[in-house]
Amino acid sequence: MIEYPSPTADDLLVIAEQVWTSYLDPEGVNPLIQMPPGETPKEVSAAVSVTGAWRGHVVISFSAAASRHAAAGLLGIGYDDVSTADITDAVGELVNIIGGNVKSLLPEPSALSLPHVQTGGSGHWPNVKEVCSLFGLWHNEPLTVSVLEGTSSAAEAGGVGA
Amino acid sequence: MVIDDSRAMRLILTRIATQLGFTVVEAGNGREALDKLAEMSEVPQLALVDWNMPEMNGLEFVTAVRAEARYKPMTLMMVTTESEQSQIVRALAAGAHEYVIKPFTPDAIVEKLALLGLVPNGAAA
Repeated sequence: MIEYPSPTADDLLVIAEQVWTSYLDPEGVNPLIQMPPGETPKEVSAAVSVTGAWRGHVVISFSAAASRHAAAGLLGIGYDDVSTADITDAVGELVNIIGGNVKSLLPEPSALSLPHVQTGGSGHWPNVKEVCSLFGLWHNEPLTVSVLEGTSSAAEAGGVGA
Repeated sequence: MVIDDSRAMRLILTRIATQLGFTVVEAGNGREALDKLAEMSEVPQLALVDWNMPEMNGLEFVTAVRAEARYKPMTLMMVTTESEQSQIVRALAAGAHEYVIKPFTPDAIVEKLALLGLVPNGAAA
């Protein structure tokens, strides 16, 4: 039987750095800086659910400005030209990529949901415990990546809360 | 052809493919891609296919394309976050030729396309 150690903040940092290097900061000008644990930003959150041998969620929470920087970077457009639809698309894809890579560290087989994005308030995930979180600063704006494991039945913990 | 439900990801892949000399048609999911294929007089040389998409996912798209003899010349490359070995095996068994895991760099895409003989070795995106 394969042992699956729980993902750690260091795992999240490695994954996030790959994403930043590939899409958001290929020149290495504005890297994501890991910060000590602090308050999770609440303006924009994006989540994917993992179901199967492991159940839970991968969630990225952004300040409004951080989410706007993410959309500008991913879409290659100016910060001031970013629309709400751009933010929803970009942060949804970011959590899809980061969630997919987190899933590769978790027990198989499992499935990844489509992303769920919420603006104007953080999501609510009932019956979960935090496995690990990465607190970061990007463009001097906060963002958090969290892995939340379901603590109850699949029916209760299987979906992304809003 | 670039098939991904994320507009940002379609843009990134389209930029890479265009710089390599491809003319790109985009689709937001497998169903939309099949509809666009049905309207084309010429079968695309290549499709870059995401896995997790609404309506029709990438695996279902690959399976549908491989069931149509007309689309046999089309090279199918999965570009996805699905990285479980069993998923890769499923996609290749369904008829995908190559598999790239997100996040990727342009060089990773070029390298795979060169392996498939679709771009020259050392091509730059």
